[in-house]
Amino acid sequence: MPGNIVEVENLVKHYPPDVKAVDDISFSIGKGQIFSMLGPNGAGKTTTVEILEGLRNPTSGSARVLGADIFKDYSKIRGRVGTLPQNFEPFDLLKPTEAVQYWATLYDLKITKTEVNRLIESVNLTERKNLMSKKLSGGEKRKLGIALSLVNNPELLFLDEPTTGLDPKARRDLWNLITEIRDKGATIFLTTHYLDEAEKLANDVAIMHRGKIIAQGRPDELVNRYGSSTIIVLEGAGKAGFEKLGKMNIKASIDEMDGRNVLVPVKKHSDMKSMMATLANSDIAMEDIYTRRETLEDVFLNLIGKKMEDGVLKE
Amino acid sequence: MSRLISDMVNFGRQYLRSKVGLFFALIFPILLILVFGAIFTGGGNSKISLHIQDLDQGGMGEVFIRAMNNTSAFNIIEVPLSEDINQYIKNNSLTVALVVPKNFSADIGMRLALPNTTGLVNVTVYGDPSKTTYSMVLGATAAVSNGMNFGLAGTHPIVGAEGRSISATENFNYMDFYLPGIIGMTVMTNALFAMTANCAEYRQRNYFKLLATTNIKKWEWLVSKFIFYALLLSVALVLTYLVGRMAFNMQSVLTPMAFVLIAAGAFTFTAMGMLLGVFIKDPEGASAIANAVGFPMMFLSGSFFPLEIMPGYLQSIAGALPLTYLNNGLRDTMVYFNDGNALVNLGVVFVVGLIFFVLASRLMSWKEK
Repeated sequence: MPGNIVEVENLVKHYPPDVKAVDDISFSIGKGQIFSMLGPNGAGKTTTVEILEGLRNPTSGSARVLGADIFKDYSKIRGRVGTLPQNFEPFDLLKPTEAVQYWATLYDLKITKTEVNRLIESVNLTERKNLMSKKLSGGEKRKLGIALSLVNNPELLFLDEPTTGLDPKARRDLWNLITEIRDKGATIFLTTHYLDEAEKLANDVAIMHRGKIIAQGRPDELVNRYGSSTIIVLEGAGKAGFEKLGKMNIKASIDEMDGRNVLVPVKKHSDMKSMMATLANSDIAMEDIYTRRETLEDVFLNLIGKKMEDGVLKE
Repeated sequence: MSRLISDMVNFGRQYLRSKVGLFFALIFPILLILVFGAIFTGGGNSKISLHIQDLDQGGMGEVFIRAMNNTSAFNIIEVPLSEDINQYIKNNSLTVALVVPKNFSADIGMRLALPNTTGLVNVTVYGDPSKTTYSMVLGATAAVSNGMNFGLAGTHPIVGAEGRSISATENFNYMDFYLPGIIGMTVMTNALFAMTANCAEYRQRNYFKLLATTNIKKWEWLVSKFIFYALLLSVALVLTYLVGRMAFNMQSVLTPMAFVLIAAGAFTFTAMGMLLGVFIKDPEGASAIANAVGFPMMFLSGSFFPLEIMPGYLQSIAGALPLTYLNNGLRDTMVYFNDGNALVNLGVVFVVGLIFFVLASRLMSWKEK
């Protein structure tokens, strides 16, 4: 479609003898969007990103990035694309200011000291700009990586699992930064195995599993399409509450995150009132009862049948 | 060009900030020259301890031992007469000992009285033939015996030998011959070991992938490393030379050809490190393979020992090592002032480097398959 920044059709990457890292995927990314490719480790996310970055050759299929066929004309768009690879580590013995200046020259750009400082400031590293990079925290190192990827003011930014391994605060800081970059007009291709990250940041999500895209759309669309609409949470009901619901022939599950809450999915909105009344009037011991919408986490569980923790699928 | 210069400056900045890199490039060769200089140019007790058992207890035995002492090469230690010499050697882990036999003086007297009597009156040198001390004691004993023979015969030697330096400058000492080997070894270890490790680190940390997304070309990255090492090692050469000159009064000369050879060596061993780096995935593997290649080359290429003392098959291996030609070239120009021979060695080093460079450029991939 005209205006799309990335267009991928029937992309395939096979490794002999029988590994299908990417298995016939198609998708497109509109201008100014955050597109999130979500999936567990080994799903094929990084292989897809690296094909689009010109770092791997596909087995078959086609891909256009910023209007150029990446298999023939990648050199024409190299300067318009920014990249943060997975597990990015900066050069330990360069200061952030030196690293930014160095990286700019590799793109044939002349960058002034003021511009370097502005870029460092945009990723909130001003107070740390004169430290050796090895002294930066994990989150600060990723921020420096993002600063390097922004040095050529890219129209398209690839961020391959930018928050993996970071603490919650550092992750939230990076989320704000990514949103700011999108708001300034860049298109972002973000891979992640954090469901909350994709839900929070992405305009469009593709869930990838075993080399295939098994679902794609806006986060709320995916929840509506693959979720059970609404969940009633019986806080603190525990295993005893779960067993009582079984005797009442009400379908329920125990929230695996804490093991205390019991979750009752309600498909139809019209059934909600009567179900709430039934549960409130039952003799199940609980601390509170409330409803919440399903999330991408529930969608993922429904689609794949397993939960995902730190990129690993769990039964 | 700006990409190449920027890459070189930032690579150099990191290298010089790494204390380990700086130590091996600039401090280590100076330490080597100081340590070897202290060993080989005196300043300490360089005499060999020689244990002598005088079973003769007569005048000739005493004369012989005194003559050995007068060579100034030995600290003479007397072995008690009650000791069995074989057991004494074993108990004291000696590599060499000398025994003046019983009746040494009487037998010499008999030979003088009866000139037609055949056979020599021998002193016995016990020792381990694989040790240099044994050869030195044997040589000195033969010389002292000859001296005694002339004295006993009432004559004096006519034909002799005079030692003279083979270099163009007669004041050269051992360290002048040793310096080129240290410089060659420094060039090899810094460029080869560091580049092999760098390639592994760049691959492990995904720097190659990052570089592949920028405009820098692979050859620019390779050349920037070569130029950096050529400059760094030239500084190392000057520093080591100045320290050697001040500490040991070395007379060898830093010629322009020496700098050209350093540049060629940096080129060859940088390219060799990159070529090894093609096949290595992690820094631990890099260290192992660089050691496996570098250390044998260091010992076989004449950096520390003259090639002539090695067996023929090792000399053949040495002939296939680029460091041999770098060492020879540096000696040609710095010690013998023979830039013609140095040029031939330079040519070999450069051609080998060019082959490594072309192979590394073709085989090294910044992208994944």
